[in-house]
Amino acid sequence: MADVACTHCNLTFSEDVMIVEDENYFCCKGCQGVYHLLNAEGLDTFYDKLGDTTLQPATPQVDDLEKFDLEGFKKKYIKINNDGLYEINLIIEGIHCSACVWLNEKVLHKTDGIIEASINYTNNKAKVVWDSDVIKLSKIIETIRSIGYNAYPYDPSLQEERAVKNRKAYYTRILVAVFGSMNIMWIAIAQYSGYFTGMKQGFKEILNVAEFILATPVLFYSGWIFFRGAYYGFKNHIANMDTLVSSGALLAYIYSIYAMTTQTGEVYFDSVVMIITFVLVGKYLEVLSKKHAVDTLDSIMGSTPTEVTVIEDNAKSLISIESVQISDIIELKPGEKVVIDGALVSGEGSFDESSLTGENEPVLKKESDEILSGSICLDSVIRYKATKDASGSLLHSIVSLLEESITKKPYIEKLADRVSGYFSTIILLIAVATFVFWWSYGGVFETALIIGISVIVIACPCALGLATPMATLIGIAMAAKNNILFKEAGYLETMAKSDLLALDKTGTITEGKPSVVEQKSYQAYDTNLLYALVETSNHPVSKGVKAYLEKRNEKLGKINLKEIKTIQAKGVSAKQNNQTLLGGNALFMRENGISCDEESEHTLFYFAIDGEVVHKFELSDTIREGAKEAIAHIKALGVEVVMLTGDHEKSAKRVANEVGITEIHSRLLPADKASFIEAKQKEGKVAVMVGDGINDAIALAQSNIAIAMGNGTDVAISVSDVVLMDEQPKSIYKAYILSKRSYRAIKENLGLSLLYNSITIPLAVMGYVTPLVAALSMSLSSLIVVGNSMRIKRVKLSKSKDKS
Amino acid sequence: MSENIVILMLGVSTFLGAIGLIALLWGVRTGQFDDQSKFIDAARYDNEEELRDAVMMEEKKKKALKKKREKSYKPAD
Repeated sequence: MADVACTHCNLTFSEDVMIVEDENYFCCKGCQGVYHLLNAEGLDTFYDKLGDTTLQPATPQVDDLEKFDLEGFKKKYIKINNDGLYEINLIIEGIHCSACVWLNEKVLHKTDGIIEASINYTNNKAKVVWDSDVIKLSKIIETIRSIGYNAYPYDPSLQEERAVKNRKAYYTRILVAVFGSMNIMWIAIAQYSGYFTGMKQGFKEILNVAEFILATPVLFYSGWIFFRGAYYGFKNHIANMDTLVSSGALLAYIYSIYAMTTQTGEVYFDSVVMIITFVLVGKYLEVLSKKHAVDTLDSIMGSTPTEVTVIEDNAKSLISIESVQISDIIELKPGEKVVIDGALVSGEGSFDESSLTGENEPVLKKESDEILSGSICLDSVIRYKATKDASGSLLHSIVSLLEESITKKPYIEKLADRVSGYFSTIILLIAVATFVFWWSYGGVFETALIIGISVIVIACPCALGLATPMATLIGIAMAAKNNILFKEAGYLETMAKSDLLALDKTGTITEGKPSVVEQKSYQAYDTNLLYALVETSNHPVSKGVKAYLEKRNEKLGKINLKEIKTIQAKGVSAKQNNQTLLGGNALFMRENGISCDEESEHTLFYFAIDGEVVHKFELSDTIREGAKEAIAHIKALGVEVVMLTGDHEKSAKRVANEVGITEIHSRLLPADKASFIEAKQKEGKVAVMVGDGINDAIALAQSNIAIAMGNGTDVAISVSDVVLMDEQPKSIYKAYILSKRSYRAIKENLGLSLLYNSITIPLAVMGYVTPLVAALSMSLSSLIVVGNSMRIKRVKLSKSKDKS
Repeated sequence: MSENIVILMLGVSTFLGAIGLIALLWGVRTGQFDDQSKFIDAARYDNEEELRDAVMMEEKKKKALKKKREKSYKPAD
């Protein structure tokens, strides 16, 4: 039968499974409800605005509305404005297009008591102001849910306000810098042409003054960041890039003022603004990537509960997580997220620990087992005893560690610019020495100053301005062509120096999802039945079987199953035309009276019809293609390779043996991975960490270079420095080769420009440098540096292919 | 061309440019560019109804604030 689109969400399904009403088709009751609601409210123009965009079907939400009116919640998220109105910041889930934003705003505007509602489409964040006498927050959330979206609060003072302020400050500085440099450039053109064709001193002065007026705000307002950076560098006794930029720009500025007022020599205001503008734009990109990380962090925090159910004298009470004490008894319901660490005291149930260990399979917890915050209780009501308070719990420490790393990291990176630091110190020393020499010998202060400053001017912008950026730029471009994204140029240098590679197992070395490696059919049956059954489950094993069936069978029809029951961590059962279908592991089969006693190192999935097994699948997490070769090549570069995983030792060993890793650390919690990296760093190692999940995020943030897989979680990607878009282990090897080659080019460039400067600087020191010589020497040294950097393009990355 | 004319040209053009820059900076500071797509959508969905909506919201705010004031006002006994 033909596929039709749902009138509300636009997703297409086969016509026979749709709910038909008049001429409309709906994929579910939720979509139907929302459609009628919108029509009744006169908001049906939403569908014209929506166009062809597909939405998520409007599924009914869990009933947790009362939590929004609790006192603890109010204290944490709601801000009471001066005029007595309440304000909250929400993240709205399910926004796909501008029509969704329109609809949400419209509905909120129509609701009584809501004074203000504005939604940002880019990050799905909303600000709502309401009158608490007219409407309760729970009602507002319910309204948003009733039209098929979901909302949860976040605390903007946590991170966002700071990040936005920082970003805006940078943006303003850049605008001023760009304005100044664009205007100075066209004045400079007049000046240069005047220099070669002759210009009256009077005109020259006017142009000089105009440049001076434009350069001043650029240097002191836009360039403030570099002065600040140089000051911190000075305090830590380090000459960094900021020192050179600020001292070069400032001295050129002072010299230009001197040349302008005494009418001797040329002014360099154009160089001043160009240096500031270019370096500032580079820094702004860094701030932008930080903003994104903050958005993802907010969504983790927003989804954590603020209250837990505590059992006291057999009575249940909701208390805020801050006031939970050690040894309190806490009750968990299915679907609830654990926020406080503890030990199970009654009941048993399966827990989703994927955000902690990276493993997708639920873990069954029995009495006295440890319950970790961050995991999700899947299927039963259990009670556990708190062993830690809220601030000592795992989830809280993960979030605060991440917060710290996001705000801290760039400062660590800044100190890495060692090579440029030495160079700038040397140039500054030479300039000072020249000045002292000329003053003491010649006795004329002015000549000594001009010569001293000309040393800096001739050396600064070109040698350093180009030596590092040119090489890294080409290195980064080459990497991007090979699907490796370096977020910042400086990371190439750090990666080149690395001597330790830590790899996560699931999702990094392996695909991260089980796929069918072997299968055995015992008797013929309708494959569509199995397909329909595995489609009802979200379990990774079911998904693996589903993917296998889709690959093998071109045409799979849809069958409607009845009485679908999902037993977490075990399997699925369903009925169809008096047939009982069972799909799951051996334990599930035995529980249903089917004898199954096979042993396998892989995960087994059985499919039984009416009590008889008809098909058996063996699934295993497959190792990514080329992992073994890539690891061998990386080892050949002299890098130590280790594996860090949250999985148990047996499966960790199996994978490690296959890819040739000898050092394995298994059963590690997120913080353990980070402390392993930290310990290695204390030994003096430069560590590269590769991971993909939230569980790797802290270790990624701790490592010198963090590499994330392209389909990893948002948090992992945002804390990392390098992203592998093609997720191939051999890209790690390529990244190593490229960074090592680029680093070599940087060193060569610095050497070449030093050589060049060792010829031009003595000339400047001796006082022979005229503006023409300076201009020539600048372009010539630039050409050499550019030419040498271009050689990076000839690096061979396909070594792994040739050998294998 | 006299020097005064050059001064005038440079001065006027820089001044006009500076006004544009200040306007842009004001826009950034007041958050008018925070959501790029909304900027465009405002033009796409601009019609009489949206205007009415905005007026309605404004009135609602006025009313709520008035009510709050009345409530907090306590007449002397």
